[in-house]
Amino acid sequence: MTEQQKEAKPKKRMTATRAAASIGPMVKSFITETLQARAEGKQKLAYTFIVCHHEEILRAMDVIPIWTENFAGVCGAKRDAERFLQRAESLGLSRSLCTYALCGIGFDQWREELGEMPPDSPWGGMARPDFMISSGQILCDPRSKWYQASQQFMPDVPIYNIDLPYPLFQRDQDHREVWGYYHKYIVKQLRGLVAFVEEQTKKKMDYDRLRELVDLSDRTWNLIDETYRLRKAVPCPMGTGDAMNTMVPICFMMATQKAYDFFVELKKELEEKIAKGEGEVENEKYRLMWGGGLPAWYALNDFNYFNSKGASFPVETTYRMVLPLYEMDIPETKDPIEHLAWRWLGYWTFWYDKARKRPDSEPDVERLINWIEEYKIDGIVMHEAFSCRTWHVGLIWQLHQLGKIYKPIPLYVIGKDGKREIVMKELPSLILESDIIDITSYSEVDTRNKIDAFIETLESYRVNRAY
Amino acid sequence: MTSYVAGIDIGSTMTKVVILKDGLITSIIGPTGPEQRRLANKVMEEALKKASLPFSEIMYIVSTGYGRMNVPFSDRQITEITCHARGVNYLIPEARTIIDIGGQDSKGIKIDRSGKVLDFVMNDKCAAGSGRFIEVIADTLGISLKDVGELSLQSRNPAKISNICTIWAQQEVAASLAQGVKISDLLAGVHFSLAERIGRMVSRLKIEKAIVVTGGGGRNKGLLHALSEVLGERLTVPEEPLITGALGAALIAREIVEESKKNRIDLKTKERRLEEVEIL
Repeated sequence: MTEQQKEAKPKKRMTATRAAASIGPMVKSFITETLQARAEGKQKLAYTFIVCHHEEILRAMDVIPIWTENFAGVCGAKRDAERFLQRAESLGLSRSLCTYALCGIGFDQWREELGEMPPDSPWGGMARPDFMISSGQILCDPRSKWYQASQQFMPDVPIYNIDLPYPLFQRDQDHREVWGYYHKYIVKQLRGLVAFVEEQTKKKMDYDRLRELVDLSDRTWNLIDETYRLRKAVPCPMGTGDAMNTMVPICFMMATQKAYDFFVELKKELEEKIAKGEGEVENEKYRLMWGGGLPAWYALNDFNYFNSKGASFPVETTYRMVLPLYEMDIPETKDPIEHLAWRWLGYWTFWYDKARKRPDSEPDVERLINWIEEYKIDGIVMHEAFSCRTWHVGLIWQLHQLGKIYKPIPLYVIGKDGKREIVMKELPSLILESDIIDITSYSEVDTRNKIDAFIETLESYRVNRAY
Repeated sequence: MTSYVAGIDIGSTMTKVVILKDGLITSIIGPTGPEQRRLANKVMEEALKKASLPFSEIMYIVSTGYGRMNVPFSDRQITEITCHARGVNYLIPEARTIIDIGGQDSKGIKIDRSGKVLDFVMNDKCAAGSGRFIEVIADTLGISLKDVGELSLQSRNPAKISNICTIWAQQEVAASLAQGVKISDLLAGVHFSLAERIGRMVSRLKIEKAIVVTGGGGRNKGLLHALSEVLGERLTVPEEPLITGALGAALIAREIVEESKKNRIDLKTKERRLEEVEIL
């Protein structure tokens, strides 16, 4: 696709916080740093994925991560993914596969064919890696296949695959009965990663430095949790639109002082806004939860559209990839690798105990219920991204389950005799449908029509609420 | 004294106008496009003529449908989801699930006894879930759209249409026709194919009775038969299934007028002048 065929640039999304507005340049800068590092050749570069609890290992070994999902997201947000998706299709890969992976594979093939970056690559392009760290975890299968496909074009670039499982939820079994086995396995996987990176970098791991970085990450986790909890305020000072920016330090900058400092500043900013009574929306009428699904990166302006109708998003399940460590029931250890494995297990089993106590609940549904109450939520919005099976399978089931087990809302309706009666209704929900970066799956008119109808439904609930 | 109010529903293929006072004064249905895209105001003009009313007599106008934002004389825009709910509730108070089958999309709407929307689903991405599917197939078979329903009911052995994409289904139908499959069987197969898609979509809503079908799909007896079979439920169709959105819009307009009178608030209205309507 030529420059002329590119999609029109999206309108700039308005952010509620200064911190969120600072993210664009931050992402551009770390992409530029990878390109500089490639040119200088002093540090090793690794393709890798978010949510693997391995950043501390990479940073302790001075390896620069190249977040391939992030680059695909940047292409999507700049509405410049189509030409890379088409490249991948021309290689025989179906559009119904993960479009992050397709975008990355198409980009890699093009870069390797040219021996340089494809023309006008977003923010300079994605640097060639020295090695790739894939992740065959329960969460997402393209994470183990993507780099194998890319390796066709870079046969000299080795892959290390880390497997990070966690015990699945069982109502009649305490996960702690088996998580020791999982822990041993994950520790082995992470130690294998250390050995692989040592071999690639010809350096030995400095475990004191690793311990310091793990401690920094732990402190950042708790700080992020404290910061995001401030969004419970009414009006909400920062919404999901901004959180789709502030996910950057969470997912791509963990184990750096910059990430910690970012959240110190954001926390301060939110506290100031709360003190002044400033909300994301001037007159907050509805408080919504982004209840699941990756966003359509090219259509983040839809959050502004929600805002224009008086709807704020105080909380989202997407990219809330940290939880308070002090609330996790995980064993103490001085070994940083063992701690990373426990933190992994603590994160994924966080809602298990609570879900077990509520009949018919499940961890994902339990999280929705808890946050509906804590953040005073009036409705749930989800996004089914057609190419992301991992996220989108189960979203509708979660809503059905929520409707079954969560308390209904009392509303007044006019009965046949003209008298007002109280009836009980489920929390309203909206499912948007498109994709993470494939803009051909998206229609702004249809999406906004659905949003309008949802807002009308919320308004009807608001006006008729009985108590 | 009750004022005249109007609802205008600009759908992708048809434009509908309803004028109300104490009861229904008039309703008009006319084509929206594609060649008449800019002529939707003519439908309003016709409605006024039929009701023998000057435009200035219409106190308040609510527009709905895909073209609702581009009606220059509309005082308020409300989505077709809310308007269908209100219109159907007025005509059939026991309705709890609405299936609206339009030219370019189809919707499922759950409502309560007061006509408020509880939940909705839409298929707006694929022609195979909308009336367009039938139009394309009718065209392929060289049959008038108004005849497809009756013809399909003559089928003893509905054909199995395996393709879910309109374009591929069109080719499949053409190939089956060449092989000697009866037109009535093909049409019945096409209706079942569309009904199954719509049935899957609305089943997300946990369907409750009474189920009401609106939109152009409500006029197609073959599709109604197939949908009833697929859902295993009896379906109800309003006398004129195309106007429920415009009727709902007019009912909401009337509520707004009554509310403003009760609270002694001046209503802000647009100039009553008919101009070309630009569809999105």
